Amino acid sequence: MAKCPDWQYLAGLTLGLLSCAASAANLSAQLTDMNGALLDDAVIFATPLKGTLPKARGAIVDQVNKEFVPLVSVIQTGTAVTFPNKDNIRHHVYSFSAPKVFDLKLYSGVPASPVVFDKPGLVVLGCNIHDWMLAYVLVVDTPYFAKSSKGAARIENVPNGEYEVRAWHPRLQGVFPVQKINLTDAAAPLSFRLPLNQNAAGAH
Amino acid sequence: MRELLPSRWRASLQGLQPQIVLFFVVLLAVVLGVALVFINAANLKIARTQLDKELLIGERVFGRVLDQNSRQLIQGGKVLAADFGFREAIATRDVGTIESVLRNHGNRIKADVVMLSDLDNQLIASTLTTLPPGLLYPFADLIGKAEQDGSASMIRTVDKRLYQLVVVPVRAPITIAWVTMGFAIDDKTAADLQALSSLHVSFAGLTAEHGWQLYASTLSAPQRTELLQILAAQPGLPSEIELGNDEWESRIVSIGEQGGFKDYAVLQRSLSEAMAPFEKLKRTLVWLGIGSVLLCIFGSILIARSIVRPVKLLADAATAIRDGNYAYPVQGGQKGEIGELAESFTHMQQAIGEREQQILKLAYEDGLTGLPNRQLFNDRLEQAIKLARRNKTPLCVVVMDIDRFKFVNDTLGHNLGDVLLSEVGQRLQGLLRSSDTVARLGGDEFALLLPESTVADCLPILNKVQEALREPVVLAGQPVDINVSMGVTGFPEHGDDGHTLMRGADVAMYVAKRANSGHAIFDPSYNQFRQEHLSLLGELQRAVESDQLTLYYQPKQHLRSGEIRQAEALVRWIHPERGFIPPIEFIPFAEQTGYIKAITHWVLERAISQLGEWKRNGLSLTLSVNISTRDLLDPGLPEYVSACITAAGIEPAQVCLEITESGFMDEPENALAILHRLHALGLSLSIDDYGTGYSSLAYVKQLPVNELKIDRAFIMNMTSNKGDEMIVRSTIDLGHNLGLSVVAEGIDDPDTLVMLKELGCDYAQGYLISRPMAAPAFVEWLAAYKATADAAM
Repeated sequence: MAKCPDWQYLAGLTLGLLSCAASAANLSAQLTDMNGALLDDAVIFATPLKGTLPKARGAIVDQVNKEFVPLVSVIQTGTAVTFPNKDNIRHHVYSFSAPKVFDLKLYSGVPASPVVFDKPGLVVLGCNIHDWMLAYVLVVDTPYFAKSSKGAARIENVPNGEYEVRAWHPRLQGVFPVQKINLTDAAAPLSFRLPLNQNAAGAH
Repeated sequence: MRELLPSRWRASLQGLQPQIVLFFVVLLAVVLGVALVFINAANLKIARTQLDKELLIGERVFGRVLDQNSRQLIQGGKVLAADFGFREAIATRDVGTIESVLRNHGNRIKADVVMLSDLDNQLIASTLTTLPPGLLYPFADLIGKAEQDGSASMIRTVDKRLYQLVVVPVRAPITIAWVTMGFAIDDKTAADLQALSSLHVSFAGLTAEHGWQLYASTLSAPQRTELLQILAAQPGLPSEIELGNDEWESRIVSIGEQGGFKDYAVLQRSLSEAMAPFEKLKRTLVWLGIGSVLLCIFGSILIARSIVRPVKLLADAATAIRDGNYAYPVQGGQKGEIGELAESFTHMQQAIGEREQQILKLAYEDGLTGLPNRQLFNDRLEQAIKLARRNKTPLCVVVMDIDRFKFVNDTLGHNLGDVLLSEVGQRLQGLLRSSDTVARLGGDEFALLLPESTVADCLPILNKVQEALREPVVLAGQPVDINVSMGVTGFPEHGDDGHTLMRGADVAMYVAKRANSGHAIFDPSYNQFRQEHLSLLGELQRAVESDQLTLYYQPKQHLRSGEIRQAEALVRWIHPERGFIPPIEFIPFAEQTGYIKAITHWVLERAISQLGEWKRNGLSLTLSVNISTRDLLDPGLPEYVSACITAAGIEPAQVCLEITESGFMDEPENALAILHRLHALGLSLSIDDYGTGYSSLAYVKQLPVNELKIDRAFIMNMTSNKGDEMIVRSTIDLGHNLGLSVVAEGIDDPDTLVMLKELGCDYAQGYLISRPMAAPAFVEWLAAYKATADAAM
């Protein structure tokens, strides 16, 4: 993950810069399971209750070494995602998830056109050739989101205002937990304890 | 039991053959029977053990097969669930498509039931009409298991049918739904399992509503019903149950559970099936047994026959031998002991035959001449008489005797005598027809049997016999003349049976011999004579034993002194019925039969003891005793006389033995030897009847005699016949010249006595002086005579 450029961060940074004129703050959160274990690949995203949002930018989900990279992606609704195949074999990327049903039949290299995820929701990606390949694309109606690493996630340069902050994890059971906040400069870090499915069924 | 059997059977069962056959057959049957029983017991044990093993293995196989089945089904389910189109249809929640896909893919892997449920246990689609979409998926526990293990397989009832249910997730790529596929467990499944495990398989389960249910089975309908009944009664199911008259080794295996109610697989194997190969073996053994018993019967009959038949043949041969058939063939060809026995039998048969021939020869043939003997002659005579009687034909019997054969025998020896006899036999045989028989009856006696000849026919033959024997027989270089006397009897005129004919011929032969006529034809008048003689012997024996014999004494007068110094002891037979029998009637007969020896001994003993008695009474006499010519052939005579003299205590000289002239003619050397021995004893010897024989004086001179006794024939007529007087005179002179005293007997008249006195005769004996008297009368007479003589002096 460190190797590849983090477009989300870049986007967030840009957003933050843009809203700097008013006032912006960083939104950080701690993500644990119910047992308090620090989670990786958990996601938080803050949906502003009013105001307009910037347009969505592009995103990339690679296929490297017969795996999707990254495992979990968060994108703003309307983002066009490209699926470059960096393996020397073909893949057949598909999704039967309701927000975006598509499949990219046996291809190599970069597909001609990116897939636009125009509805919010969770899209689970698979490869029809390699059953174990799995990727999650969480489509949200906000540009403010972040993935956790060792339980810590931070959304930077979020304009002050009222937000609904939600958390998600691939193994999350039930509805997304939500916290309403009024973001100010001195906003305290949030804390989410997520009920996770202990089974690996959702994962690979 | 024995009484129930017919005797014929009993007899046949006691034979060697049935016993041998029975023994072997019973032995074999018992051995086979016992073997069969043991084999059967062992088989049953083996079958049960094997059954247990088979069940154990079968159960394992069954488990493996079920497991494999479910894995295969899971695999099939997984393949189905991974189908992109299928997943797409599910993802799109296109129910119509989903159902058709389910059916299609279900058919692909031959699933009987296919259901799709979502993650909330809601049925999305189903091929079962009883479980339409929208209902709650009934096997949530299966999904729970599948969530854990990635898949699940269980046996469950659906709509009263038993299914193997397989649950696999549909992933896209995370689980988006669950596919349940059901495979009906039916009779075919059971049959397949049976093919793999070689056990009968039944699937049964306890249900809440219907109790025990049998879902599928390889059993027949009635067996199923029975099995259900047993399950209802004993849910644990005993390891051995009985279904339809057969014993089944059974195991019950739990294969699934549903709300506290379990489903089971019942694995079974019938004992009869397990026993089937053994039953085949048993049948084979039984057939083998029957076969070998039959073979045994056949074989033992053959063997028994090979023993019994020769034994029977030998027994037949023995019977034949008993009946005198020595030509009975004792069959050869047999080998071994029986063959040897048969051979021995043949040898024995031949040997017996030969010996019988020999015995017959000895019995019927005269060894010397090779002619038939008396026995065979009598047999042939009887046969000839029977034939003659039947054919009314005559026949003749001739008995002949060689004259003076004894003389030849004695003078020339027995060997030459035998040569003579065989020569006579040969000549006789040469004369006769083949139908005639010539036989040697014994001694010098021969007989001829001339069938179909009358006495008249026979006469020329008799002449031919005389003619043939006229030629002298040369014995030791000496020609010897042969004369025979023949007696002839004819059938039927002289007798009706062989015995009569033979006796008649014998009598006639004696007559011929006596008459020196060559031959005589039987005359009934001869019979009297002969019959008396025949009865005589027995009576004579009795006479000696019962003292019917007695001695009479006739005095001899010493002519010069007139004294009675000597007497002659004469035997007298006073028969209790016939009275007095003169010696001439029985002495010759006694001589013929040889009985004379007994009489002589009796006379000697009596005379000598009488002398002893008289001596003790003061009477001293010399007694003359007549000795037969036969007695001179008895070498024991001198000892006997000597013993008698010693016993009586008299002087040997008191005993004078009178011997007829002819006595010296047969076997003269032996007779002379005995005479010398008697003389040596001191006895006086006298020649009796001197003048009738042919003995020359030269011969008489050699004899150790003391006395001559002139035959009465010369004395009786000497007074009237000059010739006789001359003979007497010369004889007296001759005797005196030889130093012998001379006795004259048969003196009836005084003139003769006077003349004898004149002629110088020493002693006179005769009725003139006295008749013979019994001892007491003699003693009295002697006393009276003495008294008269003394008075005269």
